[in-house]
Amino acid sequence: MFTPHTLATYGREARAQILSTARTPQFVIPSVALPLLFYGVMGLGLSKGREEVAHFMLANYVIFAAIAPAMFGFGAAVAAEREAKLIELKQIAPLPAGGYLVGRLIAALALIAFASVLLGILALFGGVTMPTWRWAATLGLGLASAIPFALIGLNIGLRLGSQGAVAVANLIFLSFCLFGGLWIPLDIMPSWMSKVAEFTPSYHLGQLSQMLSGMQPMANVPHHLSVLGVISVAALGGAWAAWRRQAA
Amino acid sequence: MSANPSQTPVGLLSQVTKRRGATQALNGLDLIIRPGQCVALLGPNGAGKSTSVALLTGRLRPDSGQVRLFGGDPRDVATRGRMGVMLQEAGLPRTLTVREQVDLFRGYYRQPRPLDETLRMAGLEGLERRRCGALSGGQQRRVQFALAIAGRPDFLVLDEPTTGMDIDARRALWSAVRAEIARGASVLLTTHHLDEAEALADRIVVIDHGQVIADGTPEAIKSQVSAIAIRCRTRLADADLASLASVTGVSRDGGRVTLLTTSAAGTLRELLARDETIDDLTVAGASLEDAVTRLVETSAPAQHQTKVA
Repeated sequence: MFTPHTLATYGREARAQILSTARTPQFVIPSVALPLLFYGVMGLGLSKGREEVAHFMLANYVIFAAIAPAMFGFGAAVAAEREAKLIELKQIAPLPAGGYLVGRLIAALALIAFASVLLGILALFGGVTMPTWRWAATLGLGLASAIPFALIGLNIGLRLGSQGAVAVANLIFLSFCLFGGLWIPLDIMPSWMSKVAEFTPSYHLGQLSQMLSGMQPMANVPHHLSVLGVISVAALGGAWAAWRRQAA
Repeated sequence: MSANPSQTPVGLLSQVTKRRGATQALNGLDLIIRPGQCVALLGPNGAGKSTSVALLTGRLRPDSGQVRLFGGDPRDVATRGRMGVMLQEAGLPRTLTVREQVDLFRGYYRQPRPLDETLRMAGLEGLERRRCGALSGGQQRRVQFALAIAGRPDFLVLDEPTTGMDIDARRALWSAVRAEIARGASVLLTTHHLDEAEALADRIVVIDHGQVIADGTPEAIKSQVSAIAIRCRTRLADADLASLASVTGVSRDGGRVTLLTTSAAGTLRELLARDETIDDLTVAGASLEDAVTRLVETSAPAQHQTKVA
């Protein structure tokens, strides 16, 4: 199954997707520039050197940095390539099963890793301190959080036209940041917002990120993981159905 | 190149039916493409050409009947690895260069054609470093052709390959297709240009209403459909026009009449003698549309009868 030829094909597909993503400013700006800019201004600038604020916000911004590459890479980009019949041509070509999606996922992960490492460097120079394993765990969670966001994005990309997909991906991207408490802590927001937050993957990932970076005691981990699991499985099922339907 | 019937067909559609939305796109279609053949699939819009191509390339499954590619399932990766496809309306990634995109597709195949050879055959020298999004429509079609031949395919499927190309680019593509045929590849071509079908194909299949209505060498098909079209305004009735010497078909479009004839001189002599008020007269070789319309018209009643029975 995973012959050298197949693996090489995945690699080439991923490289092409990374090149293509890196040359598209509409993806790079929300994916890399926005998290860095926001973190620099709000996490470091406004915190005036208070470590716990910069630390708390880093945990949130690592999740924030994962949403855009996944939502736009799988939402807007897939919709555009599907509309241009590019995916159809790749389904006809002897590209191994799933090669297209694997390539997209690797491209999204590369972009997230790039943004997370830059965020980490910014935080380090901004005075955030934590043990090495907490750095690794926090940035690693950011990478892993690409999976649920990518699956949700894929549902948008496979079901909507390219114009609609960009609009919906933007809307969901902003609501996940806001309702997940990634920009503004939920305690200072109206209480109905914390009820909405329960239904967003960004809230649960944000909570886990706080725990891994040592800003919160470990609590309710099975609850957060199971909600994330349910959201991911539901999104996977929806994406599978949509993928099958377009190849009817 | 001669076709040996005992060999496994390159492509096979057997008694295939396929419904698409409210229309019966294919209605018991039979088509066998043998090794070394270049088959041109002709027919009016909606005849079932695109559906046939979609079935052979594994994008659709038949409702009933059998579809085989090299004797196997068109959806198998190994089977698809022997086929190169140029779709009618496929796009390209705007941000990748021509060289990157062609090289990417080469990588899908186990024994790809060398990159420089692929680019040269498709007439893309000098455009390698351009981004696909910056190319003209005709140039994008050439990149699509490069993607189709990148794997040295045994079976080349070309769906309206020269749409949007200028004359030089069309002729260059034709000679590249001829080179592929000479190498031993089989070709399935759909086109609206009769000259393109004549230039490339050694077999022509005309389909309508999802069934084959004519199948033979270009010469055989031409003897059935080839005709001269006389267009004019006349006060003669259809019945009078049909009785003129050598007339094989009469149709009206607004005030103008189109007469298909096998002898322009004979028909014109009688036409001018019978109606001295004749006006707006042109004589031209019948277009493919005239020819296919003629074939479709003559075969339609028989087909409908079989459908009922």
